[in-house]
Amino acid sequence: MNNANNCCPIFSARLETASVLVQKAADAVRQKRIRKRNLIWLELTGCSGNIISLLDGANPDFKCLATQLVNFIYDNSLMAAEGDSAMEKLFGVTGSDYILAVEGAVSIKDKGLYNIIGRWNGQPITAYEAIKRFGEQASYVIAVGTCASDGGISAARPNPAECVGIQGLLGKKVIKLPGCPCHPDWFMGVLAYLMLFGEPELDSRQRPLMFYGTLIHDICPRRPCFDQGIFASKLGEKTCMFKLGCRGPVTRVDCPIRKWNDRVNWPIGDDGPCIGCAMFGFPDKMEPFISYNLT
Amino acid sequence: MKRVVINPVTRISGFMEVSADIDNNIVSDARTEGLLFRGFEKMLEGRSPFDAVYFTQRICGICSTAHSIASTLALENALGIVVSEQGRYLRDIIHGCEFLQNHIRHFYQYTAPDFVRLPEGNTLFETDHIDFRLPKGKNDRIARHYFDSLEYSKNAHEMLAILGGKAPHNHGVFIGGITTQATTEKIARLRLLLQGIRQFICDSMLPDAYTIAEYYREYFNIGRGYGNLLTFGCFDGYEKLGTLYVSPSTYSDGNIMKLNPGEITENIHSSWYMARQETYTPFETIPEPDMKKSDAYSWVKAPRYRGLPYEVGPLARMWLCGGYRNGISAMDRTLARALEAEKIANIILTLLDNLIPGVDVQKEYEIPQSACGAGLTDTTRGALGHWCKIDKQVISLYQIITPSAWNLSTRDRDNLPGPVEKALIGTLIKNPDTPVELGRIIRSFDPCVSCATHVYSKGKLIKTMQVVP
Repeated sequence: MNNANNCCPIFSARLETASVLVQKAADAVRQKRIRKRNLIWLELTGCSGNIISLLDGANPDFKCLATQLVNFIYDNSLMAAEGDSAMEKLFGVTGSDYILAVEGAVSIKDKGLYNIIGRWNGQPITAYEAIKRFGEQASYVIAVGTCASDGGISAARPNPAECVGIQGLLGKKVIKLPGCPCHPDWFMGVLAYLMLFGEPELDSRQRPLMFYGTLIHDICPRRPCFDQGIFASKLGEKTCMFKLGCRGPVTRVDCPIRKWNDRVNWPIGDDGPCIGCAMFGFPDKMEPFISYNLT
Repeated sequence: MKRVVINPVTRISGFMEVSADIDNNIVSDARTEGLLFRGFEKMLEGRSPFDAVYFTQRICGICSTAHSIASTLALENALGIVVSEQGRYLRDIIHGCEFLQNHIRHFYQYTAPDFVRLPEGNTLFETDHIDFRLPKGKNDRIARHYFDSLEYSKNAHEMLAILGGKAPHNHGVFIGGITTQATTEKIARLRLLLQGIRQFICDSMLPDAYTIAEYYREYFNIGRGYGNLLTFGCFDGYEKLGTLYVSPSTYSDGNIMKLNPGEITENIHSSWYMARQETYTPFETIPEPDMKKSDAYSWVKAPRYRGLPYEVGPLARMWLCGGYRNGISAMDRTLARALEAEKIANIILTLLDNLIPGVDVQKEYEIPQSACGAGLTDTTRGALGHWCKIDKQVISLYQIITPSAWNLSTRDRDNLPGPVEKALIGTLIKNPDTPVELGRIIRSFDPCVSCATHVYSKGKLIKTMQVVP
C-alpha cells in the first residue's frame, strides 16, 4: 500500500532477492543443472507458526517451493500420512541427502520428554532426539524463527521446559533466520541460495547478511521523527515510537522494506512499536513491549 | 482386542497421540494426549500486563489472533475500559480474518487429504490408506483447489495485516480496539480482498465440502460425542448492530440456555496436577504438576460447564445461532465450518460497511496497583478464556482455558471422557490396520494442541504404551 520505499533503487532491488533466487533455482532444477533437494521441516518446541507463515509466501509462494524446488518429505502440519507411516517417511531419509528446516526451540529438561513429536518402533521420539538425529546428518540446517535460532519465547523465564536454540545441540553450523515468525521470503531466499551456491554470507550471529544486514532504526521511515525529537506518546500516532519502547534501534532485519503479508504492512506501520521479535534475547531482553511515558 | 496408537496425528496444530482399543472392529476405549509443554501461564507471572497481548499470541501460530483478543478483553475488564463501537468493529474485523485463514487452511490443507488423492510425486502428499471414493473428475477438482486455496488463505492473512501489522502474531489488537486507524484506502483494499475470498468460499469450498459429504455419508453417523455444545459468543452485542453471529449460550438435552461464566470449572482428576481441590474455578488456582499421581494420563486438564464436558467450535456456534441443525457428527462439523466461513465473510462485510475512516481509538493507559479481569470470547476453534490477576502492577496469575482443552479434555472424577474421546468411542473401524476413521473424527474438531498444552508442568513424562495385538 505504501510504496514510498520503491523510489529507492537499492531498496526495491532488495525486495526482489528472494523471488529472483527462487526463480533461478527453479529454472536450474527444470533444466537439470541442479537437483531437487529433499526437505525435512521439523516442528519442535514452539507454536508451529513458522510453517503457517511459510504458507503466506507470495512471491515466491508455497506451491512453487513444494512442486518446483524440493521434494517435501516431512512436516507435521501438512503431510497427508499420519502415525507410523509419517514417521517412516521421516526416518526413511537416513543416509540420503536432505536439507533440514527446524522451527521451535528444543526442550532439554528430563531428556526432552516435554515435547514428543511422534513414535518410532513404539518408542516416543522427543524433539531433543529428533534434532540430534536429523540435524547431524543434514546437508544444511536452517533455524526458522526465533525459537529455533535462540530459544525465543519457548525459553522465556523461568523457562519451565528448559528450552534452547538448536545450535547448542549440534556440532555443525546452523543458519539462523530469527523473527517471530520467520518471513517466508527469508526462508525461501536462503533455501534457493543454498541450492544454487551453498552457504550464504552470515554475520557473527549466523544470520544471512542478505536479509539481516540492516538495523530497523537506520531504514525506518519514521527515522526523521526520531532525528527531530518528535515522539509518539501513545499507540496509533504516526511519529517515532521510541518512547513507547520501540526495539527498532537494536533489531537487525529488513522489516521496514520487506514488510509482511505481501508487503502490505509491518508493526511500526501499524502505529505500534517494534518488539524486537527477531532479536537474540526476545522476549525477556526486549520487554516491556509497551511502556507509556518513557522519558 | 487390538490397541492402535497414532503418533503423530498430523494435519493438526501441535503434537498429539491417540490410542484406541478396538474390539470386533468397534472402538471400545480411546485416549487423547497432547505432547508439547512450554508453560506460558508460569512465564507470564511478573510481566507487564500490557505485554500479555503480544506474549500470549505466541502460544499458537495458527490462531495467535485469538489469544490477542482474549488477553485484550481480560485487560480491558481489569482496567475498567469500555471499548468504543468503532474499536470493536476494527478488532472484530481482524478476528474475522483469522477465522477465514483458519477455516480455508483447515478444510483444504488439513481435512481434504483425508478424502482426496493429492498429486503424485511429492512425499508430503503420500498416504497409507486407500479409502478414496471420489470419481476422478471431482477428486482432481478438489486437489486443484488444495493449491488454489493457498491464495485465499494468504489473502485472509493479508487482510489481517492491513489492520494488524502482520500475521501470524499481529501487532494491531490492543486495549481500546486496535493500534492504528482504518483509512479509506485500507477499507477499499480490505473489501477487494474479501470479495475474492468470499467468492472462493461460495464457488469452491462449499461445493467441495458437500462433494466430500456425498461420498462419505456414514460420517454423518459417527463421531457425535456428547452433543453438549457451548459458546462464549462472538460478533455479538454491538450497540448499533446487535448480534451478528452468536451470544454466549449452551445446548444440552435439547435445551438452549444462556451461558453463566460462573459455572466454568477445571478438573484435574486424570491430569498430572495437584491442587488444594480437584475442581476449581479459573481465578482460584494454577495447579502444580504432580507426575506421581496415579490414574492420571495426560497434561491436558478437563474444563467443565456445570460439571459436564462440552464441545466447542464452529458446529457449536452454528447450532446455537440456529444456522445449522442437520446433526452433530464428524461430517456435520466439517460442513458447519465451511458454512461458517461464508457467514464470517458476510459479517466482516457488514463491519466494513459500518467503519468510519480515520477514527483513533487509542489512549494512554495506566496499570492499576491491583485488579483482576476475565476475557471470554469464541474464536476459530471455540470458546477461549483468559483470566488475569494484577498485583503491584504486574501479572500475578494468568489462567488460560483454550477451545482445544475443552474438546481434548481428559476424564474427570465421574470418569466422563472428553468430547473427542467420547466421539471416538463406539466408532466402527472398517480396517483396524489402517484406522483412517480415527484421524478423520479427530480432525473434524480441528484440534490445536499447541494451545491445549500451553500449561506449566514439570516432571517426567512416563509412558509405557503396550501395543496389544
